[in-house]
Amino acid sequence: MTIIALEMPGKPRVFARGWIRFLGLSPATCLLVFFFALPMGMMIGMSFHNPSSQGVSLLSYSRFFTDGLSLLGFWRTTLMSSLVAISATLLAYPVAYYLARSRGRWRSIVFAIALAPELAGVVLRTYGWLIILEDRGFINDVLLHAGLISSPLPLSKNLFAVVIGLTHVVLPFAILSLTTSIQGIDDNLERAAQILGAPRHAVVWHILLPLSVPGLISSFLLSFTMAASAYATPALLGGASFKVLATMISEQVLFYIDWSFAAVMANALLILMLVISYAGIRFEAGCRQKYQSVAGGMK
Amino acid sequence: MNRVISALFWCALALVIAFIALPIVVVFAASLSPTGDVTFRPWEWTVKWYFDLASERWLGPFWLSVKIAIVVSVVSGAIGTVAAYVVAYEKFAGSEVVMAALLSPLSVPQIVKGVAVVLFLSVIGLQPLLGTPALIAGHCVLALPFVVRMVATSIANFDCNLFRAGQILGANQWQRIRFILLPAIKPGVLSGVTFAFIISFNNIPLSVFLVRPGETTLPITVINYLEYSLDPVMAAVNVASMAFILIVIFSFEKLGGFSAQLHGGSK
Repeated sequence: MTIIALEMPGKPRVFARGWIRFLGLSPATCLLVFFFALPMGMMIGMSFHNPSSQGVSLLSYSRFFTDGLSLLGFWRTTLMSSLVAISATLLAYPVAYYLARSRGRWRSIVFAIALAPELAGVVLRTYGWLIILEDRGFINDVLLHAGLISSPLPLSKNLFAVVIGLTHVVLPFAILSLTTSIQGIDDNLERAAQILGAPRHAVVWHILLPLSVPGLISSFLLSFTMAASAYATPALLGGASFKVLATMISEQVLFYIDWSFAAVMANALLILMLVISYAGIRFEAGCRQKYQSVAGGMK
Repeated sequence: MNRVISALFWCALALVIAFIALPIVVVFAASLSPTGDVTFRPWEWTVKWYFDLASERWLGPFWLSVKIAIVVSVVSGAIGTVAAYVVAYEKFAGSEVVMAALLSPLSVPQIVKGVAVVLFLSVIGLQPLLGTPALIAGHCVLALPFVVRMVATSIANFDCNLFRAGQILGANQWQRIRFILLPAIKPGVLSGVTFAFIISFNNIPLSVFLVRPGETTLPITVINYLEYSLDPVMAAVNVASMAFILIVIFSFEKLGGFSAQLHGGSK
């Protein structure tokens, strides 16, 4: 109590007057209002706009649900993002476990390699995958020369290529998120089980994996949202034959100049993202509650 | 059994590391390709593609990207730092709501933000802003949440007794800001600014809507070319821009950015 009483009156401020606070917030507010809030509002309004009669209508929405292509795009986005989220989480796990449990020089090297792609930018990595997967690319070249195949394998401009490329894009974030959550698992539990004679696979199966479930799920959700909103990788590796929502939106804006329909598709993507992030927030809150009740029960 | 499990673990680790490194190594090798096609002959290589970069076709977009990234990091760094200070230090009724609003652009996909901005500008008749001004404003919206978050973390670690000490020793308001607050939150500000620079320099999903002919940033120029050709010049461009980003990060790091921030903000 005394501490609170001492702290209360005297927190020294730089700006003594209230109005300066609002002055301090105003540039950020202006920027967000004019280049974020108003545009978002207008875009949502635009989705209810009837391009031909200039009135309010649900025309673009009904077009979204009846025209097979946009639903296909939505379905592809969901499928692609789920596959990316699963593969990124699985690939990230061994690296994250290593980073969470080891010390020393090799750890910083692995850490640097795991995060380096993030600095290289999306274009460079996607370009690398294009070189590897293209019809005249690295893999097909080697297989053709070796005489194992007579015509190039269809490795690019499809779901496969996009999933590979996006997994690579998302992987560093999955690794970071899983590393944090594995660090939160008490390694004494693993040690205790080993001392009591549990074989390694039993430690993994009965201790490590069950305790990693929250981390695995949050890494899945993070990777999903990143994959669903990615643009450059699906555009380059999927091309015209594998269009997802993000690439279809840009096509509507840049080539067909159909604002209303672009707005509907953007809303669909936004809703997908918000649903997944909301699931993530609820899930984390649920985990925390469960953990607290377990911890409370132990006392 | 235990041996098998650890062997499997090390194999998986090595394979994932190889997967991460593969495309980057491939691009680097491609930039040294001796022929116009992308080919791999380790015993034959050339750096001539890097000399091709010194042409207006690549230097123009590169300088535009650099200019935009510098303006974006200065502007978003300044307004983000002030906003983060007001929200995180001078807490007032509703400051949490303001914080959430400042971070809200993060939950909207960039491509949706891009559509919204280009639609807004065309509807209110401000298409002339497309190109550099719109790119700067759009990238600032992207960078602002990162700056705010990093500076807010630094401020959370800031000991307000330092202000009291300053006050007692007779420092006035501006001296307290200049000699106490700013040095203490420097790591947060610098990492925010570094992030802003990288976000702006590498951005595609937003820039694709905001560029206009003759004013294209480097990544957009690169993806427009990639749709038609995979020649080694593209590899050289990518390697060079990655080298540039690394130089930028190391210079900010020298000024005291990331590692200081990771090792506990102001402490």
